[in-house]
Amino acid sequence: MKIKAILAILLCKALRLVSRILRRGGTAMPGRWALKICPELLGYLAKDVRSVAITGTNGKTSSARMIEEAYKQAGRDCLANRSGANLLSGITTEFAMNCTLSGKMKKHYAVIECDEAASGAVFRQLKPEVIIVTNVFRDQLDRYGEVTHTVENIRKGILGAPDAVVCLNADCSLTASLAEGIPNRVVWYGIEPGAVPEQESSALSDAAFCIKCKTRYEYDYVTYGHLGGFRCPNCGYSRHQTDCAVESLIESDLLGSTAVIRGIDGAERRVRVNLPAVYNLYNAAGVYAACAEAGIPAEKVVTALSIFKCGFGRYEHFDLGKAGTTMMLVKNPAGCSRVLEFLEGTEGPFSIAVCLNDRDADGTDISWIWDADFERLENMKDRIVSAAVGGIRARDMAMRLKYAGADPERTQVIQDYEKLTDWCAAQECPVYILPTYTAMLDLRHVVVKRCGGAEFWEG
Amino acid sequence: MELKICHMYPDVLNLYGDTGNIICMKKRLQWRGIDALVETKPIGSKLELAGFDLVFIGGGQDFEQEVLLDDLHRGKTDELRAAVEDGIVLLAVCGGYQMLGSYYETYDGKRCDFTGLLDLYTVGGVKRMIGNYKFQCTDSAGGSTIVGFENHSGRTMLGSGLEPLGKVLAGYGNNGEDGMEGAHYRNVFGTYSHGPVLPKNPEFCDHLLLTALKRKYGSAELVPLDDSAELAAHDEMCARVI
Repeated sequence: MKIKAILAILLCKALRLVSRILRRGGTAMPGRWALKICPELLGYLAKDVRSVAITGTNGKTSSARMIEEAYKQAGRDCLANRSGANLLSGITTEFAMNCTLSGKMKKHYAVIECDEAASGAVFRQLKPEVIIVTNVFRDQLDRYGEVTHTVENIRKGILGAPDAVVCLNADCSLTASLAEGIPNRVVWYGIEPGAVPEQESSALSDAAFCIKCKTRYEYDYVTYGHLGGFRCPNCGYSRHQTDCAVESLIESDLLGSTAVIRGIDGAERRVRVNLPAVYNLYNAAGVYAACAEAGIPAEKVVTALSIFKCGFGRYEHFDLGKAGTTMMLVKNPAGCSRVLEFLEGTEGPFSIAVCLNDRDADGTDISWIWDADFERLENMKDRIVSAAVGGIRARDMAMRLKYAGADPERTQVIQDYEKLTDWCAAQECPVYILPTYTAMLDLRHVVVKRCGGAEFWEG
Repeated sequence: MELKICHMYPDVLNLYGDTGNIICMKKRLQWRGIDALVETKPIGSKLELAGFDLVFIGGGQDFEQEVLLDDLHRGKTDELRAAVEDGIVLLAVCGGYQMLGSYYETYDGKRCDFTGLLDLYTVGGVKRMIGNYKFQCTDSAGGSTIVGFENHSGRTMLGSGLEPLGKVLAGYGNNGEDGMEGAHYRNVFGTYSHGPVLPKNPEFCDHLLLTALKRKYGSAELVPLDDSAELAAHDEMCARVI
């Protein structure tokens, strides 16, 4: 085992070196080769590392950045898969880059975001001490299939780490169903009734019917999507009482929210979350619970939430154009609709660009853009100065915007990222860019060259 | 003029952006000054198809299938059959298309009875047929070339008397074997095409709308629209899937 592991580590480090010389990321490829030599390399390296793992459809990266900052505040030096390479290969690479040639880890803590479908392979080896499951929404149906499959994938992952404390989003009926059939201790987090403005329950719910008995849920309130106070009138499956929760929202603006969070110790603290929107309040609550379980003092977490830097492309600001450019990653209908809702809450004129790719990491099926609520743009019509579309499937996006009420004559198709960056730079008003994952990486690369910032692998 | 559109089971059959088909039909009617009235018929509601000109059924998850079949078998199948024989225009996509057949047999031999509206059945396979694809509609179904995205493990077989919707040009279609895609019977159009199918294939969308208008008003014409945005997306995918 040891010889195999050392060979694999050597290979991994060598491949990373070559990648960087070639100015590539090399975030997952080295691990992929290393795993061929030593399939259990992650387990070998992670055995003396205390890890927090985050999985679920939306919010993994933002939650990971929050926890990383909390660890920093608490003086814990940790490794993290910041680049977003969140399959077994990428996570293994990250560990191998943080050990000596003999396989001794240089860091004793890790914050790891993990792809839902990869959680089975990863958790079994990583053996995290705490796992957060953020939520389950429809996402990349071509890859994950139905939402219930995603739930089962995550369950398999958790079963591989029976000693981990599992923090579950109580407001998500799909996520909450994970509590059954696992031996782990569960900590519940969520947003308390009345804490945030209620939403009408959506016609396009990702979980309208009880996951246990297939009766339609009733809701006391909805925070967004299918999240909220769900209750099955037939079998009684319902939202679990929370151990840690957002009790009230004091104020929210374009840069973040201020809220009161009740911790697992029962104490309520005022918290500033350095990213806007309700779903980041969920992330904050999950992080708050997980950090307490990992032994981080609450005041360190409070500081971390107020200053953490968001992940790449997540409400990331660039000094581009007269009033700046903000990049807001969109990956699936639920997340994209939230971003559009956020735009609706802004004031004054703005320009918008949507960049749609259909590579494997984006999902090859782009039908989801029709489930995202682009119709909201109609309410912002008077404020939109110019609109552009980019990415491999720019023409599909242009058509989607046309059917959402945009004037097709006024939607520019700009597939070249240099030109799109020029377009941003020429705007007088704030610019919002909504890219899918690989479009974000490509565009960001160009934007960073133009106005500074870290490459995605530099963290 | 006005068309009344029935969106069946939007609460369960709403995968893969199929709602886009409703958005598309509605807009293309409105742009021509024709009223579009869309009514949704979720599970548990009465179907009452009298007065409707067009029915849309989308694709769904296996998870809700039981709920759906229970509901269908409560008299809705007969009502649908009568409407189909009466010439109502019906577009069914993926799961909704399979449902028009007589049954679905899972890979391990479990059989699930469907509506039997069309002479077709579906057998579960191991391999998922997935990706962008292209097919050519038969002349009786309008003759247009359609691009879409398919994602199904079920292999659908048509009875000998049933016409396909078209011939596969690239991709899998009904079963990946016989080169046929979808089914076409009277004014029923069944297809595996997500995408959603209508926005990127405006000619096909207009064929459905015109069929419904003619049935309702005897004769009808559709004013041509500026479809440059739609055709740009259509042509790009056409060139990509070969």
